Amino acid sequence: MSSLSYLVSRLLQIIPTFLLVMVVIFLLVRMLPGDPAIAMADAKATEAQLELIRQKLGLNEPLPMQFLYFVKNTLTGDMGTSILLKAPVLEVILERIPVTAFLTIYAVCLSILIAGPLAFVAALNKNGMLDIAIRSGFQVGLSTPVFYIGLLLLTFLAASLRLFPVGGYGTTFLQHLHHLMLPALTVALYTSAIIMRNLRSAVIEVLDAEYVQFARSKGLSRSVILGRHVLRNALISTVTLLGLSIGNLMSGTLVTETVFAVPGLGRLMLEAIFARDYPLIQGLTLTFAVMVSLVFLFTDMVQAWLDPRLRLS
Amino acid sequence: MKTLLIAALAGVSMLAINSAQAVERGGTLTFARYDDSNLVDPVYADRNPDIWMVTNLYDTLLRTKADGKTIVPGLASGYEVSADGKTISITLRDGIKFSDGSPITAADVKFSLERAVNPDFGPWSGLLGSVESITETKNGVTLSMKNPDPTIISILATFNTAIVSKAAFEAAPGANDQEKATALFAPGTPVSGPFTLKDRTRGSTMTFSANPHYWRQGEDGKPLPYLDEVSFVVIPDDATRILKLQAGEVNGAEFVPFSRVAELKADPAINMELFPSTRIIYAPINARETRADGSPNPMATKEARQALNYATNKGALVQLITHGTGKSMTSPLMASTTQLAHDGGPLYPYDPAKAKELAKSSGLEGAEITLTTLAGSSDDATLFAAIQQMWGAIGVNVKVEQVDNPTRGAKNRSGEFDVHTYGWVNDVNDPAQVAGWLGYYPTRKAVGTGWNNAEFNSLFEASNTEIDPEKRSEQYKRMQEIYRDAAPLLFLYETPFAVALSANVNGYLQTPLGNNEFSSAWIAK
Repeated sequence: MSSLSYLVSRLLQIIPTFLLVMVVIFLLVRMLPGDPAIAMADAKATEAQLELIRQKLGLNEPLPMQFLYFVKNTLTGDMGTSILLKAPVLEVILERIPVTAFLTIYAVCLSILIAGPLAFVAALNKNGMLDIAIRSGFQVGLSTPVFYIGLLLLTFLAASLRLFPVGGYGTTFLQHLHHLMLPALTVALYTSAIIMRNLRSAVIEVLDAEYVQFARSKGLSRSVILGRHVLRNALISTVTLLGLSIGNLMSGTLVTETVFAVPGLGRLMLEAIFARDYPLIQGLTLTFAVMVSLVFLFTDMVQAWLDPRLRLS
Repeated sequence: MKTLLIAALAGVSMLAINSAQAVERGGTLTFARYDDSNLVDPVYADRNPDIWMVTNLYDTLLRTKADGKTIVPGLASGYEVSADGKTISITLRDGIKFSDGSPITAADVKFSLERAVNPDFGPWSGLLGSVESITETKNGVTLSMKNPDPTIISILATFNTAIVSKAAFEAAPGANDQEKATALFAPGTPVSGPFTLKDRTRGSTMTFSANPHYWRQGEDGKPLPYLDEVSFVVIPDDATRILKLQAGEVNGAEFVPFSRVAELKADPAINMELFPSTRIIYAPINARETRADGSPNPMATKEARQALNYATNKGALVQLITHGTGKSMTSPLMASTTQLAHDGGPLYPYDPAKAKELAKSSGLEGAEITLTTLAGSSDDATLFAAIQQMWGAIGVNVKVEQVDNPTRGAKNRSGEFDVHTYGWVNDVNDPAQVAGWLGYYPTRKAVGTGWNNAEFNSLFEASNTEIDPEKRSEQYKRMQEIYRDAAPLLFLYETPFAVALSANVNGYLQTPLGNNEFSSAWIAK
């Protein structure tokens, strides 16, 4: 199979996923307890005002009709108007995508930078003091709640040492890098713990593989063996894991973006849920679904590049 | 001895200098908010982060002083109410201008008030239900009333009647009034308030800059505001907002959790303000004969509800939950800062013996009551733990049910609750709004309790057209007596608005209604 047709077939697979997500999110939002009209209108609203909101949202229509409108509008790019923000959902989401995308990519880069070298050091010192120290350190990272790590970083690195601003996003690229360092690091500490463990065992496994022993016996230098043979083969499973954890990482932005006052999709999602802003919740969930699907697709492409067997099967 | 005296004198004179510190102009005040404003428009502002910003951009005809009660002239230099209370003549101040330099005219006032009266625009038109028509006069407008309305003067000092530019609305893009209002919440819109909107990034930042044509004078005899700009950053997390202030990145942070107040008070770099508010925390008690599931309701009698009130140690709750910053409610219908609040001393002071006796005689003893609380609210969790213990002492078994805000609202409307936590802040400088909410059955079944008292209802109706202040005050006194005795609520406490500012920020005010007032704020350099 050529790379192009592989890409096309993987793209086609996203469509049913997307439809399924639409059904699930439509039903889930409506299963939430609490009348959205009441949530949106504030306690002081009269019955007549509530009725007006229900009409506006089409909540009085039968469920199947509501679903059809939802599908039709979504396919035509109309995700409705956010009740909370009083603005088109699509416009609001498009404003926020770059923020969350920046934060996620930043966090992934940091995770790789932290986990990669340490995993190699740990694997090459298998069961040595260094290995144990690295693994225990990450274990602490894994078992500490994300918001707590966030607050610790904020208190020490931002408020006390003033190395970074306390929250916010900034306006230029360099400001983004500076402002998002702590939230990205918070998320990265967690993700890198998972990646480190996986990469370490993969490296240990590959180091014992016959082809590596063969390479050694050929007299290849250590750096060539590690770079060309060990890294590439050990990365295959790690890339899968990284792809999967980006999904987690995006959901992690719900907490991180709130603690660090980053105006991204995660924080918006939290606000939308609390306000029962149906159109916004639906729009955001679909956006997250698309983003995660694209990340999985990208992961598959990288894997196929690393492991040619996948392209042929 | 002599040196001591000199030192003391020097200290005193320094204090004197400090208190008479002259205002300084200029600079930008940065302020961390818990939430963003989505639409700051007099008639469509419906959430507190919107409502509380309106008067920075749009001025009202009359204004309220910092005490939240006294009405003083605003864009109007004066008003006159006819003897029958059915005609109100408003005279506009001379020379007032919008931020673009164009004059504020009677036509703008008529246009603004007609928006406020229109029931199709926003949730506040009911406040002006007594207005029949608005006509322009040579130097102002005249309101013709369907009936005398004692609240109308207060409403003319309330955000929803603030003055917008007719010309700007006519020129704004949009198919209807709401679309136009949304389009006008943007930089460049001419406004009547002390500030104009300079820029805004939805969900994260907003900047106000001084309106060069604003009419009100500062202490130095020059027009307000003192500040060049106010820059807002949205930081939803309480701890982060405070860190941002401590790091010196902002000059102010609102909604400081009460648990942090003492720590920030002790910090010399921070001026921890507790502004008196109209906020009350209370818990509606289901007063219906039967519960929603049809079973007999043990809280149906007033004796049973009184027992719950006597069994609750409010002083302890004020310490536990507000860390001593709040105080027990003294009027059953409103915060003590509200006009016509009758101070009858702390309501139902803690009296376990009396509570036990009432619980026994009313048949409440042995009952199981569910307290519906907000999931994730540490205040509610503390309240539940305390109440479970306090009510346990009179033989009432308390269960907890945790829900989120929309679910709690739905339960309040449907009556499917025993007791649930709730809070209130007045939007208007008049007690009619809160009294209608808490006690008048036709509004919302007396805050969902189902309590329906004919005398209270007719007093409330009469008070809404009573223009003799003394008679109205008597009516309110009686309403508060009835409500106190019937106890459809668990009366809890009042809390202030806690705002932390850098020590060099002066003159910032959060009014008892919650409005953030930056017009008199200044920064000492």
